[in-house]
Formats: sequence, C-alpha cells, structure tokens
Amino acid sequence: MKMRLSLAIASVAILVVHGFVFYQQFFHKWENYQTSYFDQARTLSKTDAEREAFAARSPKIEQILVTQFGSERVDRCTTCHIASDDPRFKDAPHPYKTHPFSEALGDKQVDGKWERRHKFSDIGCTVCHDGQGRGLTEFYAHGEDEFWTEPMLGYVTQENWRPEFKDKLKGKEYMEANCAQCHTDKDFKQTPMVNKGRDLFIQKNCYGCHRIEGISNGTLGPDLTDVGKKWNLNYIYESIYDPRANSVTSFMPKFNLTDDEIKALAIFLKSRRGFNYAETTLDHYRATLNKSQAPAPPPSTTTTTTKPTPTTTPAATEGAKLGEQLIAERACVACHKLGDKDGGIAPDLSFEGLIKDEKWIKAHFKDPRALVPDSIMPTFAFTDGDFNAMTTYLAGLNKAPALGSPQETYQNLCMRCHGEKGDGHGQIAIYLDPYPRDFTNAGFMNSKTEDRFVNSIKNGVGGTSMPAWGKVLNDDQIKGVLAYIGQNFTKDARTEIKPRDVPEQNPVATSSESIARGEAIYLQRCTGCHGRKADGKGANSLDILPRPRNLLNWQFINNATDKRLFESILYGVQGTAMPPWIDYGLTKEDVGDLVNYVRSLNQSKKDFMAANLVAMCH
Amino acid sequence: MSDKHNAHDSEGNSEPISRRKVLAWLTSMGILGSGIVTLFSNLVFIKPRATYGQPSRFAIGTPNEFPPGTRIALGAQKVAVVREGNKMAAISITCTHLGCIVGVAETGFACPCHGSRFDQDGNVTGGPAPKPLPWFELSLAPNGQLEVDKSKQITAGKWFTV
Repeated sequence: MKMRLSLAIASVAILVVHGFVFYQQFFHKWENYQTSYFDQARTLSKTDAEREAFAARSPKIEQILVTQFGSERVDRCTTCHIASDDPRFKDAPHPYKTHPFSEALGDKQVDGKWERRHKFSDIGCTVCHDGQGRGLTEFYAHGEDEFWTEPMLGYVTQENWRPEFKDKLKGKEYMEANCAQCHTDKDFKQTPMVNKGRDLFIQKNCYGCHRIEGISNGTLGPDLTDVGKKWNLNYIYESIYDPRANSVTSFMPKFNLTDDEIKALAIFLKSRRGFNYAETTLDHYRATLNKSQAPAPPPSTTTTTTKPTPTTTPAATEGAKLGEQLIAERACVACHKLGDKDGGIAPDLSFEGLIKDEKWIKAHFKDPRALVPDSIMPTFAFTDGDFNAMTTYLAGLNKAPALGSPQETYQNLCMRCHGEKGDGHGQIAIYLDPYPRDFTNAGFMNSKTEDRFVNSIKNGVGGTSMPAWGKVLNDDQIKGVLAYIGQNFTKDARTEIKPRDVPEQNPVATSSESIARGEAIYLQRCTGCHGRKADGKGANSLDILPRPRNLLNWQFINNATDKRLFESILYGVQGTAMPPWIDYGLTKEDVGDLVNYVRSLNQSKKDFMAANLVAMCH
Repeated sequence: MSDKHNAHDSEGNSEPISRRKVLAWLTSMGILGSGIVTLFSNLVFIKPRATYGQPSRFAIGTPNEFPPGTRIALGAQKVAVVREGNKMAAISITCTHLGCIVGVAETGFACPCHGSRFDQDGNVTGGPAPKPLPWFELSLAPNGQLEVDKSKQITAGKWFTV
C-alpha cells in the first residue's frame, strides 16, 4: 500500500516538475512584451495596412546580425526592446521606450522626423551599451555586474558598487568610453572626457609604470591594454581613488587627483578594451605590422606641451627652474620624497645634489637599472632637454640640512629606509632591492669593522639605494650616527674582530680555465641560495633573511674589492646564511676561481657601462 | 486529494479497492502527463528558435534612399531592392536552381553559375532555373524605415506603394 502511495506522489511530483520546466522553457517574458507591443502599435496605427501588418506578427526572437562593422556579432536586444526604434513610444515605460534621439549623437531632424545617425540595423546595440547581445533574459543580457565582463554603462550603477561612488559613477560622460571604441581619433570632439583621461595618463606619469598598447610601455604596474574589458567602472574608479582598496600589496601611490580627473581617467581606462569594434582583425594586424616597421613615437604630449630646452648649456637658473616645474608636473613626488612632499615609495631627493653628481643623475634618468640594477624606477620617455633641466634642478639641491644630534641625523637621513627601530623595515624598504641593512642583527654588525661602515656611509654602496653621505655628514657626524646605531639598535657590545688571513688581491689570475673551474664550484656549492643564474634567487633564497646577494648586480660586484669577496666567501658573513666555506674545504685557489667566475659574469656590463656612461652624458 | 476520494467512495464500495484505484489513476496520470510534456518539448526543441543567420525581418532604410529607377542588390541580406516610380519590391537574389547569388542588371537577373536568366520581375527566361525568383513582403515601419520580411513570400507583381 505504501509503495503505491509513494509511487503516486512521485509521479505527480514529476509531472509538476515537468510542467514547471515546460513553462520556463516555452513561456517567455519577451513574448509578453512583444504581444503587448503589437497590441499597442495596432491601436496607434493610422492605416489599415499597418494595422494588418501588426496583427499578422507573432512573437519571435528579433536579432540584428552585424556583419559590416567590426567582428560579426548578434544582438537580440530588440527582442524585448522591440519599440526602441518606433518613435511613437518615446514616453512609454521600459522596455518599450524609444531610444532617445540626440543631436550629440548626430541624429538629424528631416521634415519634423528624426533620423538616426547610428542605425541600429548597422551597428547593433552592444557596441555602445555593452552587455551580452545574445541574452534573452535580463540576467543574461544586462548582467549582474559583479561577475560581468562588460557591465552596462551610462546611468546603470549597480547595487553592489561602493555607496560613496554611486553619484560619481553616474552620468552621460561614462558613455564616452564606448564612443571611443569606434571613434579612436585622438581628439574626437564628442568624447572630451576620454581625451582628458588620455592626457592625464601621460601628464600624471601613469605611462611610466603601466603599459597600454600603442601608448606606453611601462612594466611596473599591470598592463592596462584591455583593462576596460576586464573590470567594471566601480573597480577602475576605486583602484585610482584608493590603489590598495582592491590589492593590498599594490604600491601604486594615491595620486593627488580631483574627482573630475579620476572620472576622466576611469572613462579613458574603461575605453581600453584591447581592440576596437571599428577595427577588423585584418586592420588590427596591419596596424601591428606598420608599428613594427616604424616604431611609434614616444608619448607625444611630452614633446608638444613642454618646451625642450636646447642641449647647449642653458642659463643654469632657467634650466633649474624649468626642471623644478617639470618635476612638480610629472608627479615625481608620487613616489619620491622632495622637501615636505613624500610619495612613500622611492628615495629622498631633497639632498640629491650632495649625494649624486650631475653625470650620475642624468645617466640614471636615461636608464635607472644601469646604475641600480634592481631598481623599480620606470624609464621615462622625456626629451633630452627635459632630462637636462631636471638634472640641473636636482643637482642644484645641494643645501645640507641642519642636523643636530646623531638621533636627529638618523631620523632625517636613515630612517626612511632603515626604519624607526633600525631593523631595516623602513617606510620605503619593501621597494628597495637589495633590502636596507638590519642594524639589530648583532651577528653581522659586530663582525665588520667600523671602517667598513664609515666607508659605506661616506661613499655609499654601489648598485644599491644607499647613497654617499660624505658631502652631507662630516666624519664626526658619521661616527656619531654609527655610535647611535650601535647603542640603540645593535645593543650587543662590539667584540674584538680577529684578523683574518685574506689576500688583498685575487692571487689567481683571470683565465678561461680559472673561470671554468669557478663555474664548476659555483654550480656545486652556491646555486642553492644564489641561484643558477647567480641572480640571488636560488631555491633557498625565500627562506633566508637577509636575502642572498644578487651576483649579477654589476654595480655592486664591480665596486666590491677582492679582499671583501674573499673574506665573505672564505669566512662567511656572520648574521646571514652565508657559511664560512673554508670549513667546507674550499681553498684560497678555489675562492680565487669563484671570484674570477663571478667577476666574469659582470665584466661585459662593466665594459658596456664604461663606454656608455660617457656617451650618455655627452 | 486521495483522502477526499476515499471519503466519497467509502459510502458505496469497499475502501481498499477504491483507494487502490485512485492511486493507480494518479500514478498513470502523472507518468502519462510527464510523458506527453516531455515528448512535446522534444518536438518543439527540434526546430531552433533562432539561428545565427540574418534575421528574416530586417530594415533596409527609408524610401528616400532608393530613388525611382533603383535596382540594387543587398549582398548580406540576399535581396534586390527595386523601385519604379513610387512602386517598390524586394526580390530574392538567390538562384532557384542551386542557390548561387544572381547578378542584378537593368534588364533582369543572371546567374553566374549555370547561366539561368530572369527578367526584371524575376521570371525565368532561360537556363536551368525551375522557378521564378520569389518576392518578399515589404512594409513601412513606424520609424519610416522600409522592412523586408523574408519569411513572407508574396506573389510576383504585387508592388508596395510608397
């Protein structure tokens, strides 16, 4: 009995489910919209023929197949928005409402009747409005933004967007991002916000870090070539407004931008979709072909909006003034510190004239990584004149700060990198490679002579961000700072440093055999930490602090004496993971081979730089 | 529901058999109903509701865009638009022989594949084509655009007056 009952219930339940699915699959909202439209249109019809035509029509999926405009697309929006091109429905509620006519869109009135410039039958709908053209329900066609690659623009702001942005993300201007899909000309008058955003992208130096195909080649930040396709407006706006809102590890500075500027940038970025509807794939291909033959000129606004100073030495003050203006305009302080402005990412420029010379600054502008091999500073494409003026200005910043106690000195000059607690975790430390020295590491601090520290402070450390403070601090001040560091950070009392048997010069002469032997030893003993490429990124490097030295940092290696390399290899570096290799059977000859090998890795760069540092500056 | 039936039936017949009957009836109705719905949906699904081809109903432009004397072919839609005075027609340019696209000329239509020839109204004048070129319904949409409906063939010579 029970079996029969449950069978009966099950079969009825199955019928209900089938019925529900059937209803879902064969009764659509759009059919109701269309029937309702035909009824309304019939009553509005003036002639019998028209009335008959509407009476004869039955609901079916309407679609626009766009074949002659960009890649082939199907837009079925008119299935629901069936009256979008019927002028009699201009006051009807959605989805019947007629698409508005507007002179801004190029629509014209002929004999009192509007004529569209952008014909729906030619270009479809999604080219301007985004959304999924093939979707037949609101969810599939309009999308629920959060998981949507191409959210609808214009007045459609989404529930889940940041509430404080809602008002800012509304407005007709946002449609310009889509106009720019086809109207790609640089100064298309109808898209002022896109043009403004493009200018800002150059002016605010966004291009230094970000790449946009055809505009810039930055490598530091994410590629923005198709950012408009990947992200919704809310995300783009938020990422400019507060770079760390979406990615906590982002080191993009929070730029000092007005709401209007952020809006223009967001619109411009939203218009970057990787390719344009107006371009067929062949056009696109041809464009890349042309580009590879004749490289695109560097961002043009830099050459047009600023007057490059003549390369023959201009009047110093004028160059310096122009340089000051350029540095302010180009958002250098978005990263660097200069006076009371601090970007919190890159080194302090306030005393640049004292710690670097003109030659170095100029060469560093041209190619930052030629002088600090692991620097993250972008290579900017400014004119020579601009570089000269900026160099003149920076080199003129030679007023030593008034420094009192060693504590004050430390706080003013050292703390930004080495940290308040001297542990190397300063404000900008994470952007520096190599990382600033940790003064609380007593093992290291007490195993090196004071002379070595004085030398590092006075002359800087090649290939790192440690500048030469010799012109800012006198010997007493340097000793004072060292004592301050010892007392406050290292704390452990200095112990006697045992003199070690280390040759002043590498006793093994450089030869291809020696280098080959050095390489063999390197591969056996060093790759675990320093890496096969000797770039300091070996398998163990992640577990080690301080990180293994990048042996391809030619500025560092070429500045280090043989004695120092020998000491580090033979006797290890206390306070780090570098062991005393003399205990593991390496002889002085082996170390000599190793030093020759490591030096050989950097030789070509050394020669290149020797030739080019001169060329760069003249 | 079954309780109701039971209550009703219990007056006359013995209870168990009636209850069994009702359950059997319910079961068979359920299964049969689902079967019919499934069958019907499957039949409906055989014909696609929409394909990626050109829509059968499409706008071709305002009548002003086709001055009197026009005879032009719309390649993508495979239709020739003809206007004589204020009479207009939309004639297929797909050859009725093997489906090539026929050429449009002042004097009529000519198929490049097997040499079928048609006069100005699409009637066969030579070649292997078995039937004249069909005419499609033309209408004027409320926005002033002419619309061709390729799903509706009309008799040749039935002009649309603008």
